[in-house]
Amino acid sequence: MAECDKASRKITIKLVYYGPALSGKTTNLTRLHDLLAPDLKGEIMALETHDDRTLFFDLLPLGFRTPSDWLIKFKLYTVPGQVVHDATRKAVLSRADGVVFVADSQRSQGLNNSESFQNLEDNVRRVGLDFERLPLVVQFNKRDLSNIVSEEEMRARWGATPWPLTFASALSGPGVTQTFRTLAHAVYPDLDARFGLAARHGVGPDAFVSAVMGGAAHAA
Amino acid sequence: MQPKGFERALGLGELLSGIGRETLAAELGRALGRPIAVTALTGETVLGEPTEAGEGVRRVPLRYDLEVVGYLQARECDEARLRALGRILEFFFQSSARYFLASELHLEVVQADFQALTHKHQSLVHSEARYKALAENLEARVKEQVGLIEDTQRQLYQAEKMASVGQLAAGVAHEINNPIGFIRSNLNTARSYVEKLATFRRTLKTQGVPQDWAWMEADLDFVLEDFRALLAESLSGAERVARIVADLKGFSAVDQAGQSSVDLNEQLRAVGDIAATQIRGCAELVLDLGPLPAVRCQPGQLNQVFLNLLLNALQAVEGRGQIRIATDVRDHQIRIRIADTGRGIPEAILPRIFEPFFTTRAVGQGTGLGLTVSRDIVVAHGGRIEVESRVGAGTTFTVWLPVAPD
Repeated sequence: MAECDKASRKITIKLVYYGPALSGKTTNLTRLHDLLAPDLKGEIMALETHDDRTLFFDLLPLGFRTPSDWLIKFKLYTVPGQVVHDATRKAVLSRADGVVFVADSQRSQGLNNSESFQNLEDNVRRVGLDFERLPLVVQFNKRDLSNIVSEEEMRARWGATPWPLTFASALSGPGVTQTFRTLAHAVYPDLDARFGLAARHGVGPDAFVSAVMGGAAHAA
Repeated sequence: MQPKGFERALGLGELLSGIGRETLAAELGRALGRPIAVTALTGETVLGEPTEAGEGVRRVPLRYDLEVVGYLQARECDEARLRALGRILEFFFQSSARYFLASELHLEVVQADFQALTHKHQSLVHSEARYKALAENLEARVKEQVGLIEDTQRQLYQAEKMASVGQLAAGVAHEINNPIGFIRSNLNTARSYVEKLATFRRTLKTQGVPQDWAWMEADLDFVLEDFRALLAESLSGAERVARIVADLKGFSAVDQAGQSSVDLNEQLRAVGDIAATQIRGCAELVLDLGPLPAVRCQPGQLNQVFLNLLLNALQAVEGRGQIRIATDVRDHQIRIRIADTGRGIPEAILPRIFEPFFTTRAVGQGTGLGLTVSRDIVVAHGGRIEVESRVGAGTTFTVWLPVAPD
């Protein structure tokens, strides 16, 4: 749940990149740090082990000021994908406003993807969120690899689900900002309803997305 | 609502933790060539000496997590250097924050794991208690079932005893009926003789003197002779009945509750007598009884064993053959052998004959408990029972009983 701090005029929005181990969650964040240009952009804080596997989480803070001079702060987290870190995943997922599920497109990863997705659904319920209403974007990453499930097949498989699907190659960039934009659009209505973003702060949906993406708002 | 745990906002104090503040302020001042101060948004100085605001004071904002959290300031200094030191402090903040986030999250995870373990432990304790209760319950139920089985077994044993007694009863009834029959007939005849004597008495009274013709007419010579024979026969018949009753009492040991010291040869003779009517005409019973020491036992029970074995032998000979009961003392044990020249028991079923309910007889002809009960009784007396058999040649049951220590 987004936090609203009236005293310091600030709204904090929490977005979580979830998915199986080594599907490219941290790479998504690294790429967003490079590609996005909001007014305010922090450094990525990485809490990884020596072999670059995420131990606790990665955190990328982004933000912009509204015409009403409030600070809208985004905190982008990744979770550790390895099965053993489930308690950490739950702690990070707690109070999330939106989730990107980063799936690995490689043919060999189908089972890992579905197990991780099931784990996401379980944990969403465990931390007290409503899985039916939680803004969620499913990203099929690693499109640059050769042994991957085709887009048509993915759409056939996932087409019946209510979530928007995106295709990305986080390592080189394509699809990463589009995924983020899709999620930003998805989280807006609930935030607007709760905090009056448009009415009170003068931030409509498009302005909201443009502000957090900066120069990358219209990039691929 | 402020986020708690690892997501809570960190204050300037926390961001500056881990290094001695005086040393840090001194080194930063040395790098700049001027004393420095770090102030919080409230204006409070958290690092270095408070600086009066005024001319010549430069300050740069210090940011953490997109927000200004304080200022670095110094008097009359190089602005580029001041900015560089500010950046260095911001790196320092980032590094501190990294430590705090990691440790807070670690704490949360450990607590969550601990809670999960506690929960699991509780449910284990709960299920252990349930299984324990179940196990105790099970013990009680098994005891109950065992009691039920024991009761049923006792009833079956009783039924088996009744069956042997029933078999006996038919023979005994016949044996008693026979003398009773001729005693009754004799008594009827005696009554008619008494009538004859009464008639003779009347004749004497009317004639006054003894009349030979009257004596002759009443055939009193014959009456006297026959009366004597008839009484003798009736007495022997009554004695026979008395003996049968005595045998029965001895067999069932009704007047010997519990253990008593007996000569087993006497018991075997009594059993032979009891079964005599059934044996007569079907088999030849040979008793070969060697001298035996007295044995403390429950005679009624052992008699049941002997009768069982005897009746089995009788069935085996099928109306033609010999049954031989032999006793002696062997290896300080009493040996009782009951051998028949009957059809024998097939090898295949020989190991099973002592099993409860095992029977080769038609339904209703036997409970299948006779040998089981016999073995139990012998074992209860500290002995054992053995069987040898050859089909077509006969069967020998051997009962071994311990000689009571002197």
